[in-house]
Amino acid sequence: MGLDANLMRRMMWVVWPAFLVAAVAETIFFTIFDPFDLHFFGAPLEMSREAIYTLGFFGFWALGIASSALTVFLEQSPWEVNRCTLDPVDRPPGCPKRLAGECASSDAPVSAPRQA
Amino acid sequence: MDAPSKTIPIVPAPATSATPEEVSLYEISRKIYPRAVHGWFAGWRWALVWLTQIVYYGLPWLAWNGRQAVLFDLAERKFYIFGLVFWPQDVFYLTVLLILSAYALFLFTAVAGRLWCGYACPQTVYTEIFLWVERKIEGDRVARIRLDGEPLSARKFGKKAAKHAVWAAIGLWTGITFVGYFTPIRELVPAIPFALGPWETFWILFYGFATYGNAGWMREQVCKYMCPYARFQSVMFDRDTMIIAYDEERGEPRGARSRKVDPKEKGLGHCVDCQICVQVCPTGIDIRKGLQYECIGCAACIDGCNQVMDKMGYPHGLIRYASQNALTQHFGAKEMWKHVFRTRTLIYTGILLAIVTAASVSLALRNPLKVDVLRDRGALARESQPGLIENVYRLQIMNTTEAPHAFTIRASGLPGIAVVGVEQPVKIEGAAVQTVPIRLQAPADAAPPGPHKIEIHVQAIDDASMKRDERSTFILPRL
Repeated sequence: MGLDANLMRRMMWVVWPAFLVAAVAETIFFTIFDPFDLHFFGAPLEMSREAIYTLGFFGFWALGIASSALTVFLEQSPWEVNRCTLDPVDRPPGCPKRLAGECASSDAPVSAPRQA
Repeated sequence: MDAPSKTIPIVPAPATSATPEEVSLYEISRKIYPRAVHGWFAGWRWALVWLTQIVYYGLPWLAWNGRQAVLFDLAERKFYIFGLVFWPQDVFYLTVLLILSAYALFLFTAVAGRLWCGYACPQTVYTEIFLWVERKIEGDRVARIRLDGEPLSARKFGKKAAKHAVWAAIGLWTGITFVGYFTPIRELVPAIPFALGPWETFWILFYGFATYGNAGWMREQVCKYMCPYARFQSVMFDRDTMIIAYDEERGEPRGARSRKVDPKEKGLGHCVDCQICVQVCPTGIDIRKGLQYECIGCAACIDGCNQVMDKMGYPHGLIRYASQNALTQHFGAKEMWKHVFRTRTLIYTGILLAIVTAASVSLALRNPLKVDVLRDRGALARESQPGLIENVYRLQIMNTTEAPHAFTIRASGLPGIAVVGVEQPVKIEGAAVQTVPIRLQAPADAAPPGPHKIEIHVQAIDDASMKRDERSTFILPRL
């Protein structure tokens, strides 16, 4: 559960605020612009309004997801980003790298055993 | 610098158990099994469930003037709300509606905490409905915990399958209703499933799945981790805000006791520590620890605790709606209500009333005719006949009423200016926009050469109030 819950929570922080912002952006954008007035590289979009609304919503959502993902990515602490000097088994419980180490340690150790 | 290095031996600590326990840095969310509760507030919650759902599921079926009463026709970019038709140009009213909702939320929150969350939020309402289904099929709290602990059997599979089938059906119907606000529902439902458009199918499934997921699986996690309001609600709280509060003074020290024992003799408060308040809580918190952001203000713990107080023969209200001031200063109900009328709530109420009044007046006085004048970009001006100058315009005339109207178009601003090239009156259907090309003619010597301010007047023949005077320019060239 440890890593999964962590990852799930972070994915939610990425996807959910992006969804809220996409809903607002969609409303404002399509209130101001009629989909039939939009041009795609100079050519009118040959789609129904519903199709353009839907694509627009997912476009906004994708942009929001990209932004939130960068936020979460940059929010990582130095300990999460830097190469860990501890053996996977020595890493504290709950450390995201501990589980990754455990997975990998079955065939090849992640880091060389340290000299005492 | 050259101090002898000291070797600190690393001694592995003995593991406390055979399998190391993974402790997450993040809170571990446990599945919550809310216990059914009955009482005054549960009655209110159910009343609100009925009210909101009758409105939500029923409204799209209501007809008005031979069309759907409430229809957000995105394909035609027109919103019908009973007798009113809104166009994208009316986005002002949407803004007003959002501001109104926000202030109403501030006011309710300042008076009695998260009333919206506890009683009217779709998340709460659908969770309530889905929990009811779960209870009918799987049983109450204890039966559900036992069922989840059992190995998979035909009985367990049957119950789970039945529950998910009912949930999915509710989700699907919710999705259909949702799309029915955007596509006329009386055409939508007969088209299911094969004649549906791809986008309608997609949004029905999307919204249906969101309902199923949020009310069946996510539940309190939406409130705890996803809802921004839960995080900033306390900004609107003050010491006179009625919140769901545990009367610590009366309850503590808590402890189990027989009904026959006088708690005073044993040195106990009124809390019998039965955990009912925790078991009925949909977000799984212990209200006795005080106000927490997870509390959605549903008052289930009040009902639960009052039942226990009845059994014990103690007065109600060990957990109750009370403000912090009421608790510490021992206000009676009357005094607490007096504190509802304080500067903060009066300001919120004042702003709310002002916005409602302004919006109603603006809506009542709304001009149902909208006109945009666009000068023809191709030709600035030309001489149509000797001594007569012509400018070309396109009028976008929007009839926002639902009845057809005929309009006359006139111009003013230059001596001898006249509208030509259009058959008058111009008839425009109800709730329709029409682009009308017109030409204006004026004598070349009407004014010195150059641009001149003019006005174009559009007037309904049968309704004196339906008129617009739009400004534009007329160019007289140097001949």
